[in-house]
Amino acid sequence: MSFIPGQPVTAVVQRIEIHKLREREHLILGFSIGGGIDQDPMQNPYSEDKTDKGIYVTKVTPGGPAEAAGLKMGDKIMQVNGWDMTMVTHDQARKRLTKKNEDVVRLLMTRKSLEEAVKCSMGGYANR
Amino acid sequence: MELRDHPMELRDHPMEHRDHPMEHRDHPMELRVSRETLVEDRDPNGPLHSFLGNPGAASSPSGTGSGSETRKRREGGGAEGGESCAGDGGPQCFHGDAGHQGRPCPTLPPSDEDLYGGDEDSGPSSSLTAEGSCSLAPAVDLLSYSQREWRGNTAKSVLIRKGYQQMMEGFCGVRRVRGDNYCALRATLFQVLSQTTQPPDWLHHVAMLPEELDGPEGLLSLWSFPGERQPGDGKRDPTQRLKGYIELLRKTWTAVADCPSALQRQRQCEDVFRGGEEELGLLEALKLLMLGCALELHHRMQQGLDVPVFCWLLFARDSSPCPRTFLTNHLRHVGVSGGLEQVEMFLLGYALRCTIQVYRLYMSGTEEFLTYYPDDHRDDWPCVSLVTEDDRHYNVPVVKETTTAAAQEAASR
Repeated sequence: MSFIPGQPVTAVVQRIEIHKLREREHLILGFSIGGGIDQDPMQNPYSEDKTDKGIYVTKVTPGGPAEAAGLKMGDKIMQVNGWDMTMVTHDQARKRLTKKNEDVVRLLMTRKSLEEAVKCSMGGYANR
Repeated sequence: MELRDHPMELRDHPMEHRDHPMEHRDHPMELRVSRETLVEDRDPNGPLHSFLGNPGAASSPSGTGSGSETRKRREGGGAEGGESCAGDGGPQCFHGDAGHQGRPCPTLPPSDEDLYGGDEDSGPSSSLTAEGSCSLAPAVDLLSYSQREWRGNTAKSVLIRKGYQQMMEGFCGVRRVRGDNYCALRATLFQVLSQTTQPPDWLHHVAMLPEELDGPEGLLSLWSFPGERQPGDGKRDPTQRLKGYIELLRKTWTAVADCPSALQRQRQCEDVFRGGEEELGLLEALKLLMLGCALELHHRMQQGLDVPVFCWLLFARDSSPCPRTFLTNHLRHVGVSGGLEQVEMFLLGYALRCTIQVYRLYMSGTEEFLTYYPDDHRDDWPCVSLVTEDDRHYNVPVVKETTTAAAQEAASR
């Protein structure tokens, strides 16, 4: 998932649909994010490439909507409802996830174990 | 970071419209912090975690100041849906550089605000989130609603807008329903009550339902109400509580049916659906009716009698082979952690003895665009309409007739 200028970014992705929970007047998704182009990527424990400024899931609230949808700690969020999340500031990322008029967020996410699962199933052919 | 030099061609990507995608470009390397925020819509400038231990780092340059400015501009400026661009003709702008000679599109909000940004406290959506307000937002024009919610040229947006367009033949508006896991029940009950002129016959026979269900099967001991983690957590016995809710349903139905005019009936319903215990009680009563119906149909199945097709599907699910498991694995979670599945919508229709006609917009162009729950009593049961974009959240469409009638009335004066 590292970004090499001049080469297309590829990743094995999964779609996850989170139905926000309404708690009084707040919408709860049940996870925390870290990362962003305005943040320090060296601190991110989940990224392979320490220059990756993408948005990562740092915590998933047990029993919350995100956990129910299958989101896991360490997942990288690529898109939210079609909006790119690979080149956004931390605040932009948060805003995209917490729009009040949206009850459902459809995430496109990726995690290392997905890549490995695909690599294994392809008998190592994908390793170029 | 020059996005234009990025290898990924962003031609039709939703980000395309942004000419200055990153306001922070003026200080690219200055904000070197590691923030972690809980994703919710509360104020992010509350307690912040930070790997570096920096307490509450300053909010990002985009801040909240520009938000209110945008809001003012939007409210003062063109009417909703009135934004148009000299380019493609739609309300959105995908011109890239060609349409505006390198300047940002003048109809769009400042580049660091999303197309949907600035809406947070304006418009009908805000009334849904305030406590004690009606669980149904006021009606808005159908076409402008669809254009506002589904901007863009993705296949999905086009499909959904097409669906709304097709609904224009019979409907002119839509009311958004409070979007929690009760919304299917809420929308259906609101529609049924606001159109009722006489309480149905079967309503008089359901008073004993809680005791009947609890009796031999002891089913109701498995019931759980929202807010209780385990069945029987609450102080009141579920049977008595549900009996109270059934009675509330009966009283409410009768009161609404007694209203002299459609408008008053609507007002009365809006008064009831305020997100409080009254509304909750009615919805739990509906769930009880569904359970009763499921039990009855299951008995018929076991006796080898004819039952509607959906029953086979309902009880063919691994998680609900019988009414007891239907209650524990499905019904008691409705409103809490899950909504109604389609097969359960059939059950709801049967429980209320009404046909729920649902416009399923993501199915527009197919024969499932308009689905009847159930479809075998279209001639003899009353019919109510709902609209959904995804079979998860249901809204209430507003019929054209009332506005036509009002217009005719106004014209004849």
